[in-house]
Amino acid sequence: MEWDSNSDVSGDDEGFLLNDGGPFPFPIDSLLQPAPCGFVVTDALEPDHPIIYVNSVFEMVTGYLAEEVLGRNCRFLQCRGPYAQRRHPLVDSSVVSEIRRCLEKGIEFQGELLNFRKDGSPLMNKLRMIPIYGDDDTIIHIIGIQFFTEANLDLGPLLRSSMKETASAQDRFRSSLSCNRLLQDGSRNNIHGVCGILHLSDEVLSHNILSRLGPRDIASVGSVSKRLYLVTKNEDLWRMVCQNAWGSETTRVLEAVPGEKRLGWGRLARELTTLEAAAWRKITVGGMVEPSRCNFSACAVGNRVVLFGGEGVNMEPMNDTFVLDLNCNNPEWQHIKVSSPPPGRWGHTLSCVNGSNLVVFGGCGQQGLLNDVFVLDLDAKHPTWREISGLAPPLPRSWHSSCTLDGSKLIVSGGCADSGVLLSDTFLLDLSIEKPIWREIPAAWAPPSRLGHTLSVYGGRKILMFGGLAKSGPLRFRSSDVYTMDLSEDEPCWRSVTGSGMPGAGNPGGLAPPPRLDHVAISLPGGRILVFGGSVAGLHSASQLYILDPTEDKPTWRILNVPGRPPRFAWGHSTCVVGGTRAIVLGGQTGEEWMLGDLHELSLAGSVV
Amino acid sequence: MASESKMIMLRSSNNEVFEVEEALAFESQTIKHMIEHDCADTVIPLPKVSSNILAKVIEYCKKHVTSPKDDNNELESFDAEFVNIDKNVLFGLMSAANYLNIKSFLDLTSQALADIIEEKC
Repeated sequence: MEWDSNSDVSGDDEGFLLNDGGPFPFPIDSLLQPAPCGFVVTDALEPDHPIIYVNSVFEMVTGYLAEEVLGRNCRFLQCRGPYAQRRHPLVDSSVVSEIRRCLEKGIEFQGELLNFRKDGSPLMNKLRMIPIYGDDDTIIHIIGIQFFTEANLDLGPLLRSSMKETASAQDRFRSSLSCNRLLQDGSRNNIHGVCGILHLSDEVLSHNILSRLGPRDIASVGSVSKRLYLVTKNEDLWRMVCQNAWGSETTRVLEAVPGEKRLGWGRLARELTTLEAAAWRKITVGGMVEPSRCNFSACAVGNRVVLFGGEGVNMEPMNDTFVLDLNCNNPEWQHIKVSSPPPGRWGHTLSCVNGSNLVVFGGCGQQGLLNDVFVLDLDAKHPTWREISGLAPPLPRSWHSSCTLDGSKLIVSGGCADSGVLLSDTFLLDLSIEKPIWREIPAAWAPPSRLGHTLSVYGGRKILMFGGLAKSGPLRFRSSDVYTMDLSEDEPCWRSVTGSGMPGAGNPGGLAPPPRLDHVAISLPGGRILVFGGSVAGLHSASQLYILDPTEDKPTWRILNVPGRPPRFAWGHSTCVVGGTRAIVLGGQTGEEWMLGDLHELSLAGSVV
Repeated sequence: MASESKMIMLRSSNNEVFEVEEALAFESQTIKHMIEHDCADTVIPLPKVSSNILAKVIEYCKKHVTSPKDDNNELESFDAEFVNIDKNVLFGLMSAANYLNIKSFLDLTSQALADIIEEKC
């Protein structure tokens, strides 16, 4: 559009051409020209000025039908073809800036701009944009008048690339075949225009380069050409990629899922990265956990859920062990008969170490708080609880949090000690050695002491602490703070995670979960943390899922919406993750922990049907 | 290395001949097998490796053979600088490393290419 400063356009309040047929607010003579002109009206009151009307000349010349463009901003004409995401580089950006300037000032624009038809052929658009004012001097519409002429440009063939994630793989590689100008003759070393990397054989490419890339990059590489698409379909390659991206511990857990139920590595990588197949569902199981109890601790070993202890009627600490094997077609709770079980307790932690072992620490027993450690090998012929007596154990405590590092090191932190004092220490017990010894992880500064928080392992040897009931002066508040520590450093220290929030904010930006304790925090492969459940401050729903990637430059909380019906409540001590991809919430729909016949499962990846 | 080490002749794809010490040439498992199994004459032909690529491979092997074993820092910075080159040359080096079967060189060039793809540099 060219802005004609002499034109007689004024913000008449006599109405708009299309409304009441009154006097036109702009000189119509200039419109009555031999060349057909396109006519577009946009709604200036809506964000980004959506198109509300186009005439038939616009449709014929551009090739776009009205129904395809209504509701969109006109700038799509600057993109070459319907699939292009960006303005074509030959479109003069100074003209685009001029348009924006005129719109901001509320004045007419006249100028000439390169546009494209739907089939990608170029058009020169002599464009005139006129603001139409309403009663109170606000602009309510913008009219665009376009004189299209052929543009003398040779842009080459239009590459139809469907870059959307949901495009099927077939469409993707078919459409990118047109980009494939490879010569089959490989004897020349420097074929102009062909990327040298494609001279390597499939094996070398796959084994040496692709295996070092992350899942998203492999997916991108797979869309480049038919050959690369086929190379990236290889399950062994995906296994290497998953192992590199998620670590050998996670891969081992994922591999332990029995053959028939296991998704291929390629599909697993995709679904665990995009979480597109995450869903809630309800599972009914048999067997009974009796006597009934609450405040027990649940942990998963492979596909088996193990439950230990808890608080029975009359607040009696329990010491029995139950197992639920979710590999079976009809899973049932089974009581494990063990000789010499640990003393009964509640508010303890149960963690999986060394493959099939379970370790109990702390909790509140008959005679008060405990700091003993017991280990059980679930795969032994006659499982027995064995006490580990380590030198210098941490203070006795309950409602502390624990996690397992490197598959064999137990880390505990915080909790509630005698007389209700909250703790803020961090201890490590290496269960891979003959005689494990507790070692405190010294830190110059520790987050405020708390109970009911979570520790999650991510990125190999880093831990993330979230939430809990934290000390704040003489008071205690539910917290939504995030702290991380990198245990691969020589002198690990706690760091507060800050993100794109207000300046000086101590928390990641985005939609943060409301403060809570005794919630569930799951480590996703690739380093993200998923949080839900717990005792939540205020009236917020406990079933909303929140996800955070602490490895981002500016970690930001996001909400994850997942189909299926979640339980209304979920607690950290009664939720565990089986097979690396399924979070099992024990307890009834409204958090009744003694109702263990129905479970709620959040599966992060799809299932083999 | 012995003062009278045996010299090996390598011929590139464009018929240029490079003379290198045996210990250096043996960094390449391919060349090593060819010599040990008497498959090679006086000159070993390498039809898949051009002169400029072969020159760089020899430079890499020479550095790694002659450096003292425990000087890791120097080798690391040499390696990092060595792969800080044009992509097309890097592809050629990786092809050569694969063909000549020089494991450490293959790992180095592969990682450099993976880093480029992931835009780590």
